[in-house]
Amino acid sequence: MSESEILETHLQELRRGTVVLACLRLLETPGYGYGLLEELGERGFSTDANTLYPLLRRLEKQGFLTSEWNTEESRPRKFYRTSDAGLRLAGALTDDFRAIAAAIDALPEEN
Amino acid sequence: MTATVTLTDRYVDTAMRTVPEAQRADLAAELRASIEDQIEARVEQGEPHDSAERAVLTELGDPDKLAAGYTDRPLWLVGPRYFLDWWRLLKLLLYIVPACAAFGVALAMVLDGATFGEIVGALVPLLLSVVVHLAFWTTLVFVILERTGHDTMTSGPWTPDQLPEPRQKGVGLGDMITSLAFLAIMVGVVLWDLFVGFVPTEPGLSFLDPGLWPWWILALFAVMALEAVVAVVVYAIGRWTIPLAVANGILNLVIAVPALWLLFEGRLINPAYFPTIIPDDGAEVGQIVSIIVGFVIAGIAIWDTVDAALKAVRARRA
Repeated sequence: MSESEILETHLQELRRGTVVLACLRLLETPGYGYGLLEELGERGFSTDANTLYPLLRRLEKQGFLTSEWNTEESRPRKFYRTSDAGLRLAGALTDDFRAIAAAIDALPEEN
Repeated sequence: MTATVTLTDRYVDTAMRTVPEAQRADLAAELRASIEDQIEARVEQGEPHDSAERAVLTELGDPDKLAAGYTDRPLWLVGPRYFLDWWRLLKLLLYIVPACAAFGVALAMVLDGATFGEIVGALVPLLLSVVVHLAFWTTLVFVILERTGHDTMTSGPWTPDQLPEPRQKGVGLGDMITSLAFLAIMVGVVLWDLFVGFVPTEPGLSFLDPGLWPWWILALFAVMALEAVVAVVVYAIGRWTIPLAVANGILNLVIAVPALWLLFEGRLINPAYFPTIIPDDGAEVGQIVSIIVGFVIAGIAIWDTVDAALKAVRARRA
């Protein structure tokens, strides 16, 4: 494995949980798969479609998202929305992320 | 909808093959909408529809993999949750079962009068099929466990109490005393057998052929004395070394090979022994016992040699 691939793997591991957090926070206003994918990318949480779509299903199955089909537009789309449990999870994840960020800041300075 | 089947149709169909029926319609509609959204976005930026479709599907990747992501299906045979249990059980079985099977079949075939060549010819395919069966069925059980979601095989979490005892690296006084006592008892048993006999109703009837006395027996005692020396040297050095293990192996050979030769010549076991104590079937019993004795002699020699060799290798690594 080349050095850049190793770096990429480490970055992926570091970011993994943040996509869940971002989804839960963004879906406080209902959104659908592709729209969310775009928004995540614009906000700096770049994700692959084949990671995001299964993730939404999983969060729905775990009760953190609810879903509803919107058939009013020309293309029917499944809209997801963060549930109350999802809001609580997002809160817990955000707190933890801030604690980690503070802990990293408190690490000895790099030279 | 166009009349022709598009790549998107084919992709969605393929992905839905492995999705449970109940979720299929919902998932298919959502996946199709997402793909079409992505294609549309690319077309709006001036890309031709065909190449946009191709690019979007390429990015989504293997539809079976995507479907596995949707349904939480593992994409491995035995995953990290079960791997160690699987590997430990398989190793344990591979240590025990093929050896037992080979020993049992070989013994049965010898009792049945098979030749050496016949036994080897039977053992090779037997061992192969035993190993393949063990690996296959053990793995199959774990593949099923993996997919039915049992939590774990071991009851309760791991604790430090489950750590194995440290492997013995040195050789203590106890080992030397055990070895010496065993040799002394063997000498006593042989002499008692030859001069007193173990059958109360037949005083003087020995199990070993009386013709072995004195030279064969004295030679045996001489080799056993050398084994005693090896045991003392091992204790003095504190561990098995490679030269000591080699010497031990040679001594085992020196005892086992002549013993087996005498056995096959019919000169090891007293030919009068079984016919005297079992008048009816004595000859047949004697035949079976001598075969079993042969296996025991070879088994002890091999086991003792391998045991010492392993201890020497382990002690060198330590």
